[in-house]
Amino acid sequence: MSPPAESPGVFFEHVWKRFRRGEIHDSLRDLIPAVGRRLFGRGEATRRARENDFWALRDVSFQVQPGEVLGIIGGNGAGKSTTLKILTRILRPTGGVAAERGGIGALIEVSAGFHQDLTGRENVFLQGSIMGMPVALIRQKFDEIVEFAGIAEFIDTPVKRYSSGMNARLGFSIAAHLNPEVLIIDEVLSVGDFRFQEKAFGRIQAMSRSGIPVVLVSHQLDRVASLCTKALLLQQGVVLHQGDVSECIDAYLSGGMNLEGSKDQGSPIRLSACRILGGHNLWWGQQAEVELDAVITGIDRSTFDCVGIRIRALEGGREVFLTSTRLAEIALPERGTVRLRLSLRMCLPRGTYTLEPLVFRPGEDQVLCTGPISTCHIEVAHSPLGRGTVDLEPRLSLNLLPSTAPGTPVAS
Amino acid sequence: MTVPRAEDTLPESPPVSTSTGFVAGVAEAAGELWQSRELLYQLALRDIRIRYKQAVMGFGWAILMPVMVVGAGLIVRLVIVRSTGAALDTADFGAMAAKAVCWAFFAGALGFATASLTANVNLVSKIYFPREVLPLASIAAQLFDSLIAAVALAIALPFLGVHVTPALVWLPVLAFLLVALTAASGLFLSCANLFFRDVKYIVQLLLTFGIFFTPVLIEPSMLGTTGARLMMLNPLAPILEGVRLSLGGHGLLHTITEQTVTVSGALIVVWEPWYLGYSAAWAILGFLVSLHIFHRLEFIFAEYL
Repeated sequence: MSPPAESPGVFFEHVWKRFRRGEIHDSLRDLIPAVGRRLFGRGEATRRARENDFWALRDVSFQVQPGEVLGIIGGNGAGKSTTLKILTRILRPTGGVAAERGGIGALIEVSAGFHQDLTGRENVFLQGSIMGMPVALIRQKFDEIVEFAGIAEFIDTPVKRYSSGMNARLGFSIAAHLNPEVLIIDEVLSVGDFRFQEKAFGRIQAMSRSGIPVVLVSHQLDRVASLCTKALLLQQGVVLHQGDVSECIDAYLSGGMNLEGSKDQGSPIRLSACRILGGHNLWWGQQAEVELDAVITGIDRSTFDCVGIRIRALEGGREVFLTSTRLAEIALPERGTVRLRLSLRMCLPRGTYTLEPLVFRPGEDQVLCTGPISTCHIEVAHSPLGRGTVDLEPRLSLNLLPSTAPGTPVAS
Repeated sequence: MTVPRAEDTLPESPPVSTSTGFVAGVAEAAGELWQSRELLYQLALRDIRIRYKQAVMGFGWAILMPVMVVGAGLIVRLVIVRSTGAALDTADFGAMAAKAVCWAFFAGALGFATASLTANVNLVSKIYFPREVLPLASIAAQLFDSLIAAVALAIALPFLGVHVTPALVWLPVLAFLLVALTAASGLFLSCANLFFRDVKYIVQLLLTFGIFFTPVLIEPSMLGTTGARLMMLNPLAPILEGVRLSLGGHGLLHTITEQTVTVSGALIVVWEPWYLGYSAAWAILGFLVSLHIFHRLEFIFAEYL
């Protein structure tokens, strides 16, 4: 199906996608009894299969014009990958129309076609061909690809000896030289080290500025904010918000702030609400004001149960910080509703963090229950002097030492 | 949040493919295949490189299987000679070796082609390209192996009493039919193996014992009148018999005229001209039908992997 002549570059109209969860026959041996059941079970199996159906996308529509960059955001299982797979024609929609004009360049799984026993050079031609690049074009751009990936000296080494970073860099580099008419990107901005990420980001920016429509899926909301011209927020296959990028990011970050999903494992403390006051986008060093409501029903003094908050980095889920009423030596009342107010100075590197309210039993080092997780985004205004996982607030000074002889290199 | 309900707007079973009819579907698939010819070449090159990299046997590998088949054929013939008392006909070895190369190609290619989709899960579930190239590239890689064996055989044939005759012009035609028949089976079986993972075990079984239902080690005439006719039902049989007749040192028309032999006083028809048409129909129609089925289903491959 091709879009009408004067259509946008990417065109998604009322797209539905269904996956079957049950009744997929993996072997002929399974098929025969299943056919028997279907014949004699009077359509019972069909009905059960239908109940197992699972809609990954429900009535999703969007368009991307040349020069526009659409960012698709949402939690796990929101339907982002399914959307991209439909855009790249790996999957076909169950209903609706999905079309693109011209050749697609997909920066998804950029090294999927690599064969471990082949050399980098051989893999460039293989992966390039799989992505639809004519061999003549690969030959023409070969040096550029190798140079961009920065692996010139290893190009005739089998890929199995590459580090995972080198693998990803070479894969990205091939895909980035595709010359597509539509560009589709999935999380590839997280390949390689910091320097390569910046390089990759620059490359994508240049491609979008050249006027091709771009669709981008990323959890790195700062990247989405700075690169995209519009956004789409998905939740469980449904479009929750569409349009302005910052509106979508805010809607995403404030999603799940009510405590309905709070799990309770027989703790006398129940979390009822958690709010980040002021906003989710913070500058480095800014105070985050968090309010936490809890209902206490008969606390057991021997267990030291307490209420607290845990901050994790969204990338990797590493615990960055944890504080609680116990650590702050605040005693909780025996019963009643309390509101805990926390003020946190967010001296964290740039990135997205999750704030997780929790009820904690310190003696057993056990989390009794957690509230809904909300995210908070730290932006760096004036870069703190350095980078890394923590900010050590460095103070640097430099003094010129008197040298013994002029022209002698300064050794420290 | 109001969740749209599928039941309100969607038809029960949406179309799987956009192609309308058989001809349109096959034409679309063929067009896409032509567009992907460079990819086909690169994937075949990958399979060949991997096979010859770090391999002890090197190019000897290509000759190993035909040599084994000829060895097995030699034993079968010796048993026949010992039990019937007839003389061992050395002139037939050349033809048997040629048939062995053909069988090694068919068996090898089909084995790799059947598993080609499931062996490349990463590619099929993550990158879009016409999936037909995967089984076809396995076949092309096997063809390369078999060409090496064929070259070795061509050097050996004059010493086995096979001479250049006009009948040899049939060999390219027969080779084409063999490749088409292999491609037809490979496309269909790779597709079937994706949906039903036990297909590859069935194929392995068929390839192990299929040699007894195909005139590789024996000649159909050894089975008598009915046996010969039944064996010729195997679409591969007329192609292999055609190879034998073409190498027999006859004129151009020998391969397409009726052939009879006398075994123990009985006249047996071993070859009729329409046998070749029968194989050609299987090969060409089979290829088109398989391509059509494959193309219609390839849009749901990623969901079933």
